Formats: sequence, structure tokens, C-alpha cells
Amino acid sequence: MTRRIEQVVIVGADAPAWMAAAAFQRSVSNAGIRVRVIELPTLLQPADAYSALPELAGFHRRVGLEERLLFSLCKAVPIAGQRFSNWSGAAPPFIHGYDRSPPPAAGLGFTQLWTKGRQKGLRTEFENFSLGAMAAKAGRVPATEPGAELHATFGYNLDARAYSALLKHFSTSGGVESKAATIGDVEIEGDRITAIILGDGERVEADLFVDASGPQAVLIGRMAGAEFESWREWLPCDRMLAVSAKALKPLPAFSQISAFRQGWIGLYPLQDRTAVVAAYDSRQISDENMLTDLPALANLPIGGEAIVSGLAQGIRRQTWVGNCVAVGESAFTLEPLDAVQLHIAHYCISQLMTLFPVEAGSFPEAELYDRIIRRAAINLRDFQFAHYKLNRRFDMPLWDGCRDAAPPETLQRKLDVFAARGRIPLYDDETFQEQGWESLFIGHGFMPQSYDPRVDAVPEQEHIALIQARLNDIVGLVEAMPPVDNFIAEADPYRQVETTAPRVGVN
Amino acid sequence: MQQVRDIVVVGGGTAGWMAAAAFAKVFGTQAHSITLVESEEIGTVGVGEATIPPIMQYNAILGIDEDEFVRETNATFKLGIDFIDWRKPGSSYFHPFGLFGANIKGGVGFMNYWLRWVQSGGDPDFRRFIAEGEAARENRFARIPASPDGQLPRLNYAYQFDAATYAAYLRRYAERRGAVRREGKVVDVEQNSETGYIEAVKLADGTRVAGDFFIDCSGFRALLIEGVFKAGFDDWSHWLPNNRAAAVPCERVEDPSPFTRSTARESGWQWRIPLQHRTGNGYVFCDSYLSEDEASQLLLQRLDGKPMADPKILRFTAGKRRLGWVKNCLAVGLSSGFLEPLESTSIHLIQVAIMKLLEFFPMREVNPVLIDMYNREMDQLYDHVRDFIIAHYKVTDRDDTPYWRYCRNMTVPDSLAAKLELFRERGEARMLPGDLFSETSWFAVLYGQGLIPRSYHPIANALSEDELQLALARIGTAIRRRVDSLPSHADFIESCCSARSAATAA
Repeated sequence: MTRRIEQVVIVGADAPAWMAAAAFQRSVSNAGIRVRVIELPTLLQPADAYSALPELAGFHRRVGLEERLLFSLCKAVPIAGQRFSNWSGAAPPFIHGYDRSPPPAAGLGFTQLWTKGRQKGLRTEFENFSLGAMAAKAGRVPATEPGAELHATFGYNLDARAYSALLKHFSTSGGVESKAATIGDVEIEGDRITAIILGDGERVEADLFVDASGPQAVLIGRMAGAEFESWREWLPCDRMLAVSAKALKPLPAFSQISAFRQGWIGLYPLQDRTAVVAAYDSRQISDENMLTDLPALANLPIGGEAIVSGLAQGIRRQTWVGNCVAVGESAFTLEPLDAVQLHIAHYCISQLMTLFPVEAGSFPEAELYDRIIRRAAINLRDFQFAHYKLNRRFDMPLWDGCRDAAPPETLQRKLDVFAARGRIPLYDDETFQEQGWESLFIGHGFMPQSYDPRVDAVPEQEHIALIQARLNDIVGLVEAMPPVDNFIAEADPYRQVETTAPRVGVN
Repeated sequence: MQQVRDIVVVGGGTAGWMAAAAFAKVFGTQAHSITLVESEEIGTVGVGEATIPPIMQYNAILGIDEDEFVRETNATFKLGIDFIDWRKPGSSYFHPFGLFGANIKGGVGFMNYWLRWVQSGGDPDFRRFIAEGEAARENRFARIPASPDGQLPRLNYAYQFDAATYAAYLRRYAERRGAVRREGKVVDVEQNSETGYIEAVKLADGTRVAGDFFIDCSGFRALLIEGVFKAGFDDWSHWLPNNRAAAVPCERVEDPSPFTRSTARESGWQWRIPLQHRTGNGYVFCDSYLSEDEASQLLLQRLDGKPMADPKILRFTAGKRRLGWVKNCLAVGLSSGFLEPLESTSIHLIQVAIMKLLEFFPMREVNPVLIDMYNREMDQLYDHVRDFIIAHYKVTDRDDTPYWRYCRNMTVPDSLAAKLELFRERGEARMLPGDLFSETSWFAVLYGQGLIPRSYHPIANALSEDELQLALARIGTAIRRRVDSLPSHADFIESCCSARSAATAA
């Protein structure tokens, strides 16, 4: 017996649950499907921030959320890249800018030209050829035209609680039903959830249960076949400490990710404060010592309450079991590195929208969804592990261990091909494209040994001119970009339209 | 080869009694005789009221009890020197005893890391990383040993004391151990007609004091070393033009600070040395720029307490005896040279002469190789101290008076010029064997006087930013904790070595 899906229940809290709700509300609700949110208690603390990739803007456009609300309500700061410092000991920091792949130069990838140039004595760092990185360095927002030859985009740092509240308001005002509850029990028959019993005893049935409960995985975690597979072998940090510090003035256009002896520290500028996150390995440092060392390592006075939580990186053996599908960190978890946190939810939700089940009885989409999510997760994991693998911090157990660890085969192939000729073999379902991987590898000091032989066909004068032209173009484009503070002031018309703007409860 | 049996010290004062006390302790008076000849008619010059930490070594040789010594000399503890108005009017810096920061494992000197940190926006107040500097700032003091983890050394200090009572204290010490004091003025010297060695000194009353070895502690008169042996004098007044000091004690107006203060003035500088019972003051100047009367007047106007006497004028010339040791005669103290007390080195130079003599102690017939070694090493030390003192005058932004314009523009010894150039380029102030002032001292003074290094040792860049931040934070915290644990200087003195309470109890 088959029938069409009629009821969807999303179980979760905070931005991932409300992102799912907003996405469904704008699409499947219109098709007559009932979408309900069982809202679990929040996992967020005042110190928490979301660091989002530029892709989030696409999500907002799809669901119809105005960007200006992020600036007026969520203390958003536009972020042109991530700056990595201390990962290679005393080497200067590098910025992973959010570039859109630039047009080929002389029919070849620019990295090829740079690699040869470097071998011939060019001393200009790779990041100087990245529009995003140079914008970030200059504290400017790359609001360039998508059609331009050189194009970069920006992501956001968001106050986590404010952003979650905004999404909740947006979804519920759009008609999503919600109920704040806890999960009492989950009725499972075979590979199907027949109902969830809430803390107050209410029994909730649905055709599809979406688990957006984050690492708690309140639904998927109970399903046979969805056991957790740990990636700690590659991603060693198992503790996280979040705290706030004073706002940076002027606001930088990048988040800073600094390695230290036992982990890394992220500084995420927001309009009114700086969110500080330390991810570390409990085998190397205690929570108390971490808190003691934090102000010196962050080089900022730390204020407010520090919240420590556990981190467990890994993936569910299956991310969609029967009528239960995991979106976000209930499907897989990574370190809060490279701004992937919201992206995981976003990516899962997008895939689920594409593969939204037709029938309530069978879910042929499950296997495909799982394969895509797993591939995407592995690509992201490899990207994160590459930071660790390529570190040049010697005589420190954590870092020595990561450098010596055998990378997954997927990453090894990327490293091998890149080392041989400066190319990145991309797989299906990559979040970061060539330029992202290249800036990661080169930034960490992993240089191509050779380059495409066709580069030798470019006459030297032309080669030099191409490199020079790229530098000049970037300098010119960056100069025309608005500084972060100006950009925010313009993007935030809140004060002028205060009476008509939606009021959203932030707390 | 005959051993030296009879040692004669000509002249009392600080130098004479330091020598006599050390010999009495080290040789004893069973097999040796130690005779000190001094005359009450001849005054002593007591400018050396402040000392530097190596004096501990001298005290350790004597085995004297520190608390007793501090009580009996009305001493206070000294953690360094506060230099006011030296770089320019309104500026100040502290030259602390002790280490700058702490060792950074596998790296170069702390100073380089600190310079890197300052160049990237760190706080340029280097005192935060020197326990002695911070303790002095807060008038705290106690004796504290090295930290158990070996990261921080013991708190390094010296004393500020009354030189007259110090000499008296050492006289009691020496006499208890059998040294003999002879009252009288030396009027003649007997030399061996063949060897030229001094055989005896004759006193005004006709007494003949014979000896195997003679220590000339006759002060500027240099009775033996110059009077008899014409050892010669290198005049350094073109580098160190100060040739006068007006000195006056004043009443104590506050708890004594655990540091000496040196304030640059229009034509020289003024010292302020707090003792338990009074404060020593003086104006060191050059009489080509300021008369003795003017200096005395200015000094009196600039006291923080009521003067306890009329200012006394001391006259000197900066320079060094060309040979400090000739045949069987060694010059100790002012007879061997004079460097103004800007860095409290007078007593130290006495101490080093005594300790080196003990190290090289000759037979009756002195091996000239020993003499050469001694003279060479003393020359090196003198030159080093001279350069360090000259640096205070040369490296300055002051050009507000003819005196300072002269100092700023003078040509300095090549050895100092090279040192300044290297420091300017990369903060290098390495301590060479035989040097007295450490890298920390040179750094504090040169940086404080306004010579800011353009760079630092390249190896300091090999440490990652996070490790640097953490290392500096840890060192800063350890120093802060250390300083927070200290009582006030006044309370510390009161607890174990107050001259006042000893007097009350007696």
C-alpha cells in the first residue's frame, strides 16, 4: 500500500531545525504537506556564534530571507575568508578567501603560472592572487559582480541565538507549526518510526521524521544501522570551549583560526563582540588549563561565562533509515573549522529538498541521499584534516601525530596529484572547489613540485605580464570595495525603517 | 720560593678595610700578619653608598650574617636604579638587577622575543617582565629563592648603606680576626735598592711597618702606586667630564625605597640613596658648566628632607691608573682609578681587585706573568664599566643645556661605538667573559635611554605566535605572582634587620 507523503515532523533545535522548517515551508508546504517542528531545548549559549560560508546567502535567497536582517538583527559581520595562523609554526598566516574560480590565464589555471613563476624566483605569496584573500586582508567586503572576470564572495559570522530566533520567527510567521517539547520515547517498528512520544505524553505521528537535533541525534541515533562512526583518528579535538571577547575595531573581514600546542582557537568577529572558540584535545590539555591559557593565546581579554562542551567528529553509518532522515550534525559532525557548521545543515536540507520522498511507503531516495551526504562529508572531513596533516608544528604530540597519520585515500590522491602538478582532482559533492583546496595546500606550505608542461609554451614576457596583470586587477578591485564597517552600515537600514521592520525576539 | 707572610694595607676607608677583612678571613693571622695603617687626620671619601649584587660574593667570603650586617650599616635593600629625566626631561626608566624575562627553551635571549612582541604591538614597558623592576615599582622586597621549577632565579638584590659605618663594621670584623691597625701618616717608603720592591713604610712617629706585599688604599693620593712607582693615569674626562660631587645627607621623609634614584640635571645628575635612618644625596657635575656653589645650592633646593649637614664637595677626575699592580704593590680603590658612582660600581671595583689578588696571590718574589694577567683583566673591567657609564650620556635625546649637548655629541670609545651600533641594528648586547653588566643591564639602559633596536635575532621568529604569546603570558604571570607575594620593603626590614629596633633593644 502506498500513498503520498502528507506529514513531516522536524525534531530539533536552533538554526538547523529552523532552516529545515523554512526550506520545507517555502516548498513542500505549498504542495499541501503538513510541516511541524518539535522544538527541543536550545543547545546554544550566549557566547555561541555561527560562522557561515557564502553558500548560506543562496539559502536565504531561496527561502526569501532578506540579508539585511542578518546585519540588523544577528550582529552579522561579512567574512571574506578565514585566516590561518600558527599552523606552520612561525610561517606567516595565510587567508583562505572565498573566490569563485577565476578565468584561466593563457588557457591554463592560474596556479600553473604561479607554480612556474615561483620556481623561477617569484616571491609573491599565492594569496596575493586571491581576490577574496586580499579583500579580507584589507578589511573590505568583496561585493563584486558575479559576472566579473575576478569574483569573490563573502560569508557571515552570526550571533547563533539571534540567527536561530530570526529563522524561527521567519518559519513560524510563514505558517510552520511548532511545539516546544522534549522527546519521551520513540516508537519504532522495524526500520520505521511510527510515532514519537513527547515529554508531555503527546504522541506525534508522521510520514517522514527529520532529525535536526544536532549531535544528540535523538531520532537517527535510535535507528538500527545508523551507528556512529568516529573520525577522531584524523580530527583529534574532542573538547570545545566557547567564550566572548570585546568587539574588534575596526571589524576585520576574516575569522582567525590560530593553531596552538593542543588544538586551535577561532576568533569570530561579530558587530558587538568577538566570539572565541577553542577546540582542543583533552588528552593534551585540561579544561582548566585551557581556560587559563586562552586569554594569552587569543591575545584578547576574555569576558563572560566560558562554556565547555564535547566534540565528536564522525558520521552515521546510514544517514537516512526508513522514514527517519538526519539533516545537519545528526548526520555527521566535523570540527567547527572552515565555517562548515551551518553548511552541514544547509547541504543536507538542500539534498533532502531535491530528493524529497514521493511516497510514504517506500523511500528509494534514502540510499542516494546517504551516498551524497557521505561523499560530501568525506570531502569536508578531508579538507579539515588537511589542515592538521600539513601542519609544521614539531615536537608537539598532537601535531606530530596528525602529521604522521595516514590520510584517507581520498585525501592522499588529492595530495599526490597536487604535489605532482598543482592540480586538484575534485570528486562529486565537493563543497570547496579547486581554488579553496589550492589555497589550503599552498597556504600550509604544501607546494606543487611541477606544473602543466603547457606553461612552458607561454613566452616569459607574457607569463610575467599575466602575473602582473592579475596582481594589478586585484589591487584595483580591492580598493573599490567597501570596508566592513561601511558595508554593515549600508546593509543595515534598520534604524531608518525601525517602525516597519519586523521585530524579532532575540532571546 | 718564599711565601708572602706580612701584608700591609696603606689607608683605611672602605677599600682598606674591605681588603684587610678579606685577608684576615682568607689567610687568617696565624701564619700571616695583616697590618692596616691609617690616619685619623685624613678623611675618607664615602661616595660608594650603593652597591650591586656581586657584593654578595664578597660577603659570602667573609661569612657575615646578612641581617647583622644590614642592621649595623643602617642598610636598605636595592633592586636597581631608577633613572629619571635621562632620555629627556619627563622620561624615566628602571635599570633592574635580575633577569629580563626567563629562558625560552631552545631559543635565543628573552629580549629578542620581547622585541618581536613589542614590534607587533605589545606593551613596551619592559619592567613587567623583570621581577626586581616590578617589586621596586611597588616598594616591595623579600629574600626569595629560585622558583622550584627553575624558571625564575632568586630575587637579585644589593644594598644601600652608610659607607662610614660599613668601614667601621669591617674594621671590627678584621680586628676580631687579628688584623692590626696602626694609627699614623705614612711619610716615607723604603724600597729594595736592587729589586725596587717596597720593604717598609715609615710613619710620622718614626715607626717602620715592614711587609712582603703592600696594598695601596690611600685614595686619590695613590701614595705607593703613583708616589713610588709612577704607574701613570689614563684621563677619561673627555668622555666623562664630571669632576665634582656635592654630597649631603638629609632626613628621611618616607619609608626607604628599595632602589637608588638617579635624576639627570642641567650639568650632571643627582643621586638619592635611601638608608634606614637618613637619605644620602649628591649632585655629580662638571665644574666647567656649574660652579661648586651653584651645585650645592641646587642640591639643597632639590632634597626631599631637611639637610643634616652642609654639602661636602668631592673633587675627582675620571680615569684609570695605567698599572694597578706594580712589583709587590697593588692599588685598590680610588688609588687604582675613579669612575663616577652612576652605576654604583666603586665598591665593586674594590671587591674585584681584592678577589683577583686572592686568585693570583703571588709568592714574595712576584711572577710578572701574574701581574700582567691581573692588569689586563682589570683594564678590561674598567673599560667595560667606563663604556657602560658613557652610554648613559651619549645615548640621550637631551640637548637642553651645553653640558648635555657636549655629551650627546662627544666621540665615544670604539668599543662602545661598536656595541651601540650592533644594539641599534638588532638589540644585541651580549655579555663577554669578564664583563660585569649583563645583557639585561645593557638592554635596560640603552632601551631606556632611547636606543630602540631596529630588529632582533632572526631565530626569535622561529617561535610560532601562539607559543610566544603563551610564553610571555606565563612568564608575566609568574613574575606578577612572585611580586604579589612580597611584603613591603619597610616591613621586611622591620621584620629582621632594622637598625632602629636593634638600638631600642640594646
